[in-house]
Amino acid sequence: MAAEVDAAEPDGPKAIVLQDVSKAYPGVRALDEVSFSLRRHSVLGLVGENGAGKSTLLSIINGSVRPDSGTLSIDGHPVRFGHPTEAAQHGVATVFQEQGLIAAIPVYENIFLGREHKFVAGAGWLRQRTMIAEAKSVLDDLHVDVDPRALTGSLSFGQRQLVEIAKAFALSRVYPVEPIILLDEPTSALSDQETVKLFEGIARWRTRASFVFVSHRLADIFATCDEFVALKDGRVVDQRSTIGIDESALHELIVGRQRNAEYYREASQRSSAEGIALQAVGISKPGELENVSFDLRKGEILGVAGVLGSGKSTLARIVAGAEAQAEGEVRIGDVQLRPGSRREAIARGIGYVPAERLIAGVIGSDTVEWNLTLPSLDALSLRGLPLLSLRRSREQTKRWMEKLRVRAPSHDTACRNLSGGNQQKVVFAKWLARGTHILVLDDPGRGLDVGAKEDIYGLMREIVANDGSILLVSDNLPELIGLSNRILVLRDGAMSALIDAEQGAKPREAEVVAAMV
Amino acid sequence: MSSSAQGRANGGSQVSAAFAGLSRFRVALLPLVSIVALVIYFTAVNPLFFSASNALNIGRQSSVLLLVSLAETVVILIGSIDLSVGALVTLTGILTALAVDTLGAFGGGLVGVAAGAFVGLANGLLVTMLRVPSFLVTLGMLSILSGVTNQISQGQSILFANTLLPSLVNNAPVFGVPNVIWFGLGAAAILTIVAFKTKLGRYLYALGGGEVVAAHAGVPVTLYKVLAFVLSGAICGFSGVMLTGQVGAGTPTAGSGLLLNSIAAVVMGGTALSGGIGGPHRTLLGVLVIAILTNGMDVTEVNSFTQDIVKGAVIILAVSLTIDRSKYSFIK
Repeated sequence: MAAEVDAAEPDGPKAIVLQDVSKAYPGVRALDEVSFSLRRHSVLGLVGENGAGKSTLLSIINGSVRPDSGTLSIDGHPVRFGHPTEAAQHGVATVFQEQGLIAAIPVYENIFLGREHKFVAGAGWLRQRTMIAEAKSVLDDLHVDVDPRALTGSLSFGQRQLVEIAKAFALSRVYPVEPIILLDEPTSALSDQETVKLFEGIARWRTRASFVFVSHRLADIFATCDEFVALKDGRVVDQRSTIGIDESALHELIVGRQRNAEYYREASQRSSAEGIALQAVGISKPGELENVSFDLRKGEILGVAGVLGSGKSTLARIVAGAEAQAEGEVRIGDVQLRPGSRREAIARGIGYVPAERLIAGVIGSDTVEWNLTLPSLDALSLRGLPLLSLRRSREQTKRWMEKLRVRAPSHDTACRNLSGGNQQKVVFAKWLARGTHILVLDDPGRGLDVGAKEDIYGLMREIVANDGSILLVSDNLPELIGLSNRILVLRDGAMSALIDAEQGAKPREAEVVAAMV
Repeated sequence: MSSSAQGRANGGSQVSAAFAGLSRFRVALLPLVSIVALVIYFTAVNPLFFSASNALNIGRQSSVLLLVSLAETVVILIGSIDLSVGALVTLTGILTALAVDTLGAFGGGLVGVAAGAFVGLANGLLVTMLRVPSFLVTLGMLSILSGVTNQISQGQSILFANTLLPSLVNNAPVFGVPNVIWFGLGAAAILTIVAFKTKLGRYLYALGGGEVVAAHAGVPVTLYKVLAFVLSGAICGFSGVMLTGQVGAGTPTAGSGLLLNSIAAVVMGGTALSGGIGGPHRTLLGVLVIAILTNGMDVTEVNSFTQDIVKGAVIILAVSLTIDRSKYSFIK
């Protein structure tokens, strides 16, 4: 095992040393005095919840984001922040979640993109054949079976990822450096087979490169990494060897707390009530969901758990009418909702809080008032006239801003100037103001700080206390367990368990995880 | 969290807030400041510029541009663009001239407006149903409409005998201000009310600001996109009617120059090409800038080729000062 090599030389040369790096965005402290180091020829895992600061950290190392303070040195050379080219000259290359290759050009052009000057002959012509040969030798060297002349867009996702890694190694043919490769969630879109291949590759390539490996999947970290750095709310909780710690201990470290009953207002959890608010019967969608059925009871929070790709977000969209199912139905009472009709779902009282807040939740350029009243304009019309009552629109906005404690300079402030937590409250408010009694929430705490999350959780408790019902999809297990009355677990699109989580009888995380994987 | 880091973070957000404030300030005030500056300059060069009669001249010259710019505003607000406005004004002007003698002034006007709405409907359906970007649909439509215009008119002006239409457009019974100016201002007022006080208006802003959010909020996206194009087309048709009334004939070159000037006016007024920001009230100011600039250069006898150069430079300068770059991740 590679880790033994590192144990033999714990103070070996460092590929990256990051010292006291802080970065704040308006309303969010993304990184707070983060320090860690990457030993040369080692693989360092970077773990943490959504919003813990992993992606910001990668962007700072590769020069695309400039931090507020701190220092960075690569291979012992101090590096200026915010200069991607400088980082690249020191061998730093990032393999992004959203891939950074250009689909419309061949593989070899992507591999040497921005570094063609090495292949310029007289009069500005590119020595294409040399480029292709060089690209082929890079690919062969890494045992990557891809034709360098193939059109990049025609490759599979996994192949394109390997090309990105090859691109990083190609750096060392242009600059006299060893690659430092930053992998951002590399396995999230790979098949099991492709994942195994990638891990084998990393084990082989690490004799000539150093890696930072970001992943949600803790199993990935144990399979590939010598060490890990755990981040929580922008701070380093720990950096240590992957030996001598197990998955659940690591998980606890990331979450940073034992499930805290008070945080999730478990005392105010009501027992699932009488009556059914919504029924899903045999929901299927080829390749995504398979025969999922459940009842959402009145006054209940029904949690939906599952790993990335389990189909849980698709299920949320289908219930909300934002996407059509292939088979099965969503029912409210005797009424069968038209598949994929958001309008009908709204008319029947289903509100939807999507995960991508700024793309799908609020309109950044519109004011709080315009966002908050968007679904209820019909009710705000003057009687018999095609005009809106601006007075009632403003009153409704102010009332709900007060109720949900939205902190904004005024109802006239553009939503993009609000913090994430306040934007999320506006999304909730627009549904509550409409009198919605069923809410479908997709990761409502994503990217919010601790205080904002607490506010949102309190709000959810209030909604169910008033006989509303919530379908809660979340990646955050403690949140899901703490908030839900019952937890529906999805595995590969099918239901694998329905776990009771009544007050005082909450399941342990391990129970839920066992059904997820 | 160290207090110095905290201080820096706050300092940074204050600076960026100040910049945001400054850019809002610029967007709102730049047209006004330019108008004042232009008026002072042209008056200094030729005192006759600053007179009631010249003010009416400016109004007469720019009323049709105002109407067309309002039409363009509606489409730009939803984040689309309409390149066929000028060609549509020409065509509907010709159709009105052809119809006015048989159908009368109001009948002829109705023909123009209906034809405009129909072309707008076609644009809207092509954009939403075929999912072709509006830039390309309306570019094609521009060519089609020009061809139809030339086939109908054979390149000749269409004369007519009706006198009611020209007098409805040009007479000045109220305060000595020609009706066409009242029509333009009235349209601006109505559209401003529509923008801020109706469901249609709010939906248009929502479509431009965040189409996905709008769809999730139950806004019938396709319907309202088509409606925006139909409304825009109908206003273009009305502009064609006004133009034919002003000239006293339907002319096959009447709409040339309207496309560029209208887009320039919309953007200078502060309506973002990316949609969702700005509005008809802003466009009124943008039109005034262009109208005063054009008229002022005429009055101060700047040669017409130089005028084009100056106008182009002013447009680029104005947009570079007002554009909200935070809405674009790349400048293409």
